[in-house]
Amino acid sequence: MIELRHVSKSYNKGRVKAVDDLDLVIKPGEIFGFLGPNGAGKTTTIKMIVGLLKPDAGTIAVNGLDTQQDALQCKAMTTYVPDYPAVYERLTGLEYLNFIGDVYGVPKKERLERIEKWLEVFELRQAVSSPIQSFSHGMKQKIVLIAALLPAPQVMVLDEPMVGLDPRAAHHMKELMREHCDQGKTLFFSTHIMEVAEKLCDRIGIINKGRLIACGTMEELKKLDQDEGSSLENIFLELTEK
Amino acid sequence: MNKLWPLIRVSLKVNFGLSVLRDRLFKKKKDIWMVPLIALAVLGLFPALYGYLKLIKYIYGILQPMGQEHAILTFGILAGQFVILLFGLYYVISAFYFSKDLQILVPLPLKPFAVMLSKFTVILVNEYLTVAVLVLPVLIYFGVLSKGGPAYWIKALIVYLLLPVIPLAIVSLLVVSMMRLINLSRKKDALIIVGSLILIAAGLSLQLGLGVSRSRGLNPDPQVMIRFFASPDSLLTKVGAGFPPSIWATKTLVGGLTGPGLLNLLIFAGTSLALFYGIPVMAEKLFYRGLIGIGEISGRRKTISQKDMARQVSSGRRPIKAIFLREWRIMNRTPIFLLNGSLTSLLFPLIIVLITKTGRGYAAFFLRAIGSGTSIYVTLGAAAFMIFCGCLNGTASSTFSREGSQFWMSKVIPVSPREQVIAKFLHSYIIALLGAVTASVVLVVVLHMKAAACAAAIILALITGIILNVIGMIIDLARPLLEWTNPQKAIKQNLNVLFAVFADLGVLSILWLFVHFMVRAGIAGSVILIVLFAALVLLSLVSFQFLLKFAAKRYNAIEV
Repeated sequence: MIELRHVSKSYNKGRVKAVDDLDLVIKPGEIFGFLGPNGAGKTTTIKMIVGLLKPDAGTIAVNGLDTQQDALQCKAMTTYVPDYPAVYERLTGLEYLNFIGDVYGVPKKERLERIEKWLEVFELRQAVSSPIQSFSHGMKQKIVLIAALLPAPQVMVLDEPMVGLDPRAAHHMKELMREHCDQGKTLFFSTHIMEVAEKLCDRIGIINKGRLIACGTMEELKKLDQDEGSSLENIFLELTEK
Repeated sequence: MNKLWPLIRVSLKVNFGLSVLRDRLFKKKKDIWMVPLIALAVLGLFPALYGYLKLIKYIYGILQPMGQEHAILTFGILAGQFVILLFGLYYVISAFYFSKDLQILVPLPLKPFAVMLSKFTVILVNEYLTVAVLVLPVLIYFGVLSKGGPAYWIKALIVYLLLPVIPLAIVSLLVVSMMRLINLSRKKDALIIVGSLILIAAGLSLQLGLGVSRSRGLNPDPQVMIRFFASPDSLLTKVGAGFPPSIWATKTLVGGLTGPGLLNLLIFAGTSLALFYGIPVMAEKLFYRGLIGIGEISGRRKTISQKDMARQVSSGRRPIKAIFLREWRIMNRTPIFLLNGSLTSLLFPLIIVLITKTGRGYAAFFLRAIGSGTSIYVTLGAAAFMIFCGCLNGTASSTFSREGSQFWMSKVIPVSPREQVIAKFLHSYIIALLGAVTASVVLVVVLHMKAAACAAAIILALITGIILNVIGMIIDLARPLLEWTNPQKAIKQNLNVLFAVFADLGVLSILWLFVHFMVRAGIAGSVILIVLFAALVLLSLVSFQFLLKFAAKRYNAIEV
């Protein structure tokens, strides 16, 4: 579970409000899609959840633990995939996965099983012994995803995870996101792909200019639009042009 | 050509971070605290500058009656050109081949020579700043002492502007040729390191080898010496023989506006221009062929067997060990980090060996004195040498900056800042240990230092090393440089490394003074060593504790 209570973050000494009084609860077993135009505050929110940025006001809790007070316990339960896969390019894929396994304390047996499984799923077995530097953008994205799956975390936070993935990998990605939440775990992700959000998410939040302007299930969001049978794209465009 | 100037202007802006600096200093006022710090660092240079000027005056006083004072200019110019020849190599490799902006520049409709010239200009400006402290005092003070007229000052400006061109162009042409060959191979990183070491060794051997021939050329017979010094500018010619452009530059300065002055100016400027012209020619032929694909590492793409996978998947290291291993691997596998960091630990002792083995000058005499002496100053001098080899390489003071855009991982992993900092400390301390051990081998084997004195020195050096590494890490943690496009910026062009060197020299000076006063107070050498040892242990414990507390605070505060 992720709870954001009155979270705000601004830049340039308060002149630019990136996130403004955000109140949001993502329940266990839920896939939550976070939508918004460029610069709306999606990445800032995500970075605050995983501890890369410090909120100016408000609190964030992961499974009931405060991310500022109990930072290490929260980090041990959470994994994160950034919008750009900036990884240790001079390590091989396997060295990187071993590093993640070591710092998250994944035992050898589980580590081996999971690495084998995810390398097969994402078709990366052939490349895993090579330096990450030699990977394509999509392959880097895949290795970061595998690293995020390796600790079998309670909470996964993904910033535009589909970018750079080929259709097969994107398909597997959606399946494993569902699988993750069916185990009662939480998944928070941002995306610009409306179809993915519409089909995959249990609930969707739309943020614009730092404020949460809509939040609910697809059915609930449809009620916000006067036109019957509106797609998420239409709802999004209508809500964010105000 | 009309595209070249905007490109150079943008490159200079990007490299010197002018827009960012203006924004951080005056708009966001984030770095305003650096202004007094930089002012303090500049002030700290004044005593050294004063000493340097006094030395110039002293040598001038000796050489002037013999008519050999022009050799001072040759010394100064040669020193500047030697520094450029040696260290320009790092700048050239890094700026020409590892700047991330090249990925943007190469697809643009720009000719290779324009891209290479823009990079060359950036390095050239960098070199003007680097050698200023070494060369400008000589040029200016010589002008003052010899009461140089307007012609001297105009020519001094021309000489200074031309000074880096020849050595930098030579290095650039060598590097571009080397990289063209390296790009043909699969083991590019390893070859870049080996190739750079060969170039450095060649540069050193050339300088030191010529040093031998120069000193051999000096016949100790008094009659010969008198004849030597009686001949005008004989010393100048001898000194500059290793690198004739320094002779042309000197003769330009002192030779008047016509005759030899003009002739040497024409030779100096002509050679500079000819080599400078070689850059676009070389660029068009070889630059892109060496550049495109140099960052590409072809993976083996061999499916790993289940058995190998089971063997290679770790059974679970402790986080400290895992982070140490990450630091070790990344540092050693990034050529620019390796060349600037750990390898300099080995380079300094190597230079000393070469000076001792080949030189007959004062440096060699001084170094041999270390081997034969017994005073406490010999132990301290040896410890300082070990520290110099092990700690002043920037490994500790760039440890956070080197992570760059990947620092987000250090922020999200469930490992406390305390453990992360301990792992990073151990990494930089291993490099310090490597430098200290190599230096002590040189001291004992090459300079025949007594084992007991060397043992005392190594103990002092290793404890001081803790303090200096901690200082370096604190400075880098206070202001990590995480946004860089060129790995050189994270280490060699990182101000934190420079601040740390200043701070380290400050600590070493205080320790030196501390010992000096105890010696003057008549305290026995063994007692002084024990007191110094105790003080260093205490300081290292206190500083390390401070680092751990500071890390807990800073890791939380750094936002990425």
